[in-house]
Amino acid sequence: MSTHTEATLVFQDGVEHALTVESGQTVLEAALAAEAPILYQCTTGSCGSCLARLESGQADHRAGSTSSLLSAEREQGYRLLCVTEAQGNCRFSLAYDSAAGTGRPVEAQCFVNAVERVAGDVMRLELELAEGYWMDFRPGQFIQVKVPGTDVFRSYSMATTAADLPRIELLIRILPGGMMSDWLVNRASVDDVVDVSGPYGQFFLKEKVRAPHVMIAGGTGLAPMLSMIDALRVSPGRTPRILLSFGCQSPEGLFALDQLDLRAQWMPTLETRVSVDRGTPPEGIRVGNPVAAIGAGDGLTPDSVAYLCGPPGMIEAARKHLEELGLAPENIFAEQFVASN
Amino acid sequence: MNDAAPIRRRKTVNMHGISSDRMNDEKTQSQYQPYKEAAWGFINHWYPALFTEELPEQAVEGIQIAGVPILLRRAAGKLYAIKDQCVHRGVRMSAKPMCFNDTSIACWYHGFNFDLETGMLNNIVGNPESKLIGKTGVTTYPVQEVAGMIFVFVREDDFPDEDVPPLAHDLPVRFPENSERFPHPLWPATPSLLDEGAVALGMHRTGQSNWRIACENGFDNAHILVHADNAIVHAMDWVLPLGILPAADDAITLIEDEDGPKGQMQWMFTDRWTPVLENKDLGLKVENLKGRFYRTSVVLPGVLMVENWPEEHVVQYEWYVPITDDMYEYWEVMVRICKTDTDRKKFQYRFDNLYMPLCIRGFNDCDLYAREAMEEFYADGTGWDNEQLVETDISPVTWRKVASRHNRGIAKPGKGVPNATKTSSIRMRRLAQGKAPAYKVEKIENVNSY
Repeated sequence: MSTHTEATLVFQDGVEHALTVESGQTVLEAALAAEAPILYQCTTGSCGSCLARLESGQADHRAGSTSSLLSAEREQGYRLLCVTEAQGNCRFSLAYDSAAGTGRPVEAQCFVNAVERVAGDVMRLELELAEGYWMDFRPGQFIQVKVPGTDVFRSYSMATTAADLPRIELLIRILPGGMMSDWLVNRASVDDVVDVSGPYGQFFLKEKVRAPHVMIAGGTGLAPMLSMIDALRVSPGRTPRILLSFGCQSPEGLFALDQLDLRAQWMPTLETRVSVDRGTPPEGIRVGNPVAAIGAGDGLTPDSVAYLCGPPGMIEAARKHLEELGLAPENIFAEQFVASN
Repeated sequence: MNDAAPIRRRKTVNMHGISSDRMNDEKTQSQYQPYKEAAWGFINHWYPALFTEELPEQAVEGIQIAGVPILLRRAAGKLYAIKDQCVHRGVRMSAKPMCFNDTSIACWYHGFNFDLETGMLNNIVGNPESKLIGKTGVTTYPVQEVAGMIFVFVREDDFPDEDVPPLAHDLPVRFPENSERFPHPLWPATPSLLDEGAVALGMHRTGQSNWRIACENGFDNAHILVHADNAIVHAMDWVLPLGILPAADDAITLIEDEDGPKGQMQWMFTDRWTPVLENKDLGLKVENLKGRFYRTSVVLPGVLMVENWPEEHVVQYEWYVPITDDMYEYWEVMVRICKTDTDRKKFQYRFDNLYMPLCIRGFNDCDLYAREAMEEFYADGTGWDNEQLVETDISPVTWRKVASRHNRGIAKPGKGVPNATKTSSIRMRRLAQGKAPAYKVEKIENVNSY
């Protein structure tokens, strides 16, 4: 009986990598051994970076493993390669091109430029790469930040673009008892040095897409959207129509509205809608959830692309809603965040 | 990095504080942040490159716009524009034109031969079987010739062909189609470069300041003070106010048509603006007799239109085409519709003997030295933060916002192009030889002499 199988990875640009997967090995382990340009980060089934879609053959998540994938996503063939074993020859497609994985993560040190509370439960942390360090990234990707004085890392998406480097801006939700929250609220100050690594993640802006862009952000899920909007603004050629729906739980939780206003002023093709779940918001802000703020009247075409970032429940609802509005499932990209204490 | 190495901050520029008492307070400035970043100009726009007469059949000229080196050639009656920077070693091909046929140009140094239509490397003079042939090339630029002017669509290397807008989107609004929207009872419909029978006469020359400083001068209503002593004003007995103040919220109308130019129209000589004819404290009074009712508007990428100027049936257009971040090509063009050859001759005569010496020279020369007087304040970037604007600066501030919103791209600093490095020894030597940094590429005339 054969102890290995063959797995083929098909990148968006058509490049294929054939891997030999030994029995007991995950597809990600095999891909890394073969130096395939695959994106990954946590290797434990939680971050979602190594997402792939099973096109043919049999491959499932390792028995007893846990993953952040939604069951609906599993049913559609999505797999996290770090916990996936191949049961016979199989074929996976990846939603990024073979050049994406060449931007390998690096470790770097940063100075704190600013730390400020921008909403009831959101802090803005501005970092600046120290002399001698650099880190390129794509709009939408995230970095890991080591909580100073601990060995604990937390993941945050950049709200800025590579063009803003060495400056990096993060929007961080304050959680009661959270280690990063504790540092931010009680100890962080300008000129502190923090360790970071990255970039990570395959939730990033697909280039040269002319179809309308829909972005749905819950809370600090706005960060990667700001990065993508800034990248779209300076990309050559006609800027596509962008519809951003941003939601927070309460009016006190809202932030970055000035930044959104500025971008709407700079970009005639950008429309922003801001919602709160409850409370009495100021004029111009809706009550409701950010998913429902997008409707059939928005003229979305089947080739429209969607970017979703927020808690798992919002992403699940948004995916379902957008598919009902006619978007193709493969054009919906999502990054969900999971709170850690 | 070695663990023992100290962690150092990068060297950074200090941020300058901005007073909230200014018209351009911090919030206003952020609204035109993209404009502040456009030191090298806006890219992906149509710009005038040369007058028709500057590029006869078989001629080749090299110019630079928004940091992009551009070669223009006319061959077999057809106009071409390609990037004037050989992919091989960056040589400007226009310095010593070498053309073996009407559809290509070779780099005179190592013989890389480029198709003028596609920009593709299609041969190498001394290496015709090279594997590189057909694999690389230079960017091409769409060209259009109207009323005696050659326009080039200056674009980023990856700007798609299908997104190139019509030239009319980067030219002022036209009349009479906009006569109802922008009525002008005091003068006849303003001619356009795109009208049938339009003749454009003018000049272009290099100014030594940032293009934005030059551009804002054109429609800045407070600057007419500098023109008070100009010869044309007194020869014609014109009433040129000391200043013109905005008198209503709608003193300026934005032009933001979906399918047309983007910019602003100033409602001058209506009750939305008040001319100031006297300043008692300073003992100043305008005594002249004849009103000169003109109107200014500006559209992207920085095209001024002065209607009914300097006389009826004539319009002055100006462009401030960025060359680098500290030079621009100043275009002054007067347009009149000439239906017959006699009309054309009369316009030419009037241009040569009145407009050229007293307006394009006299009157506008004054603008050139006025712009250059501002250059050093802005040259290191701090002027954009430190300027203290007032009520009349509603015009430049509105323009900055509309330009921030509708530009098609912010030009990146020129790469490997003349004058990108201000202190290179070659620039210094040319200066020592009495040659100011210029718009056109200097040709190598005598091949046996250095």
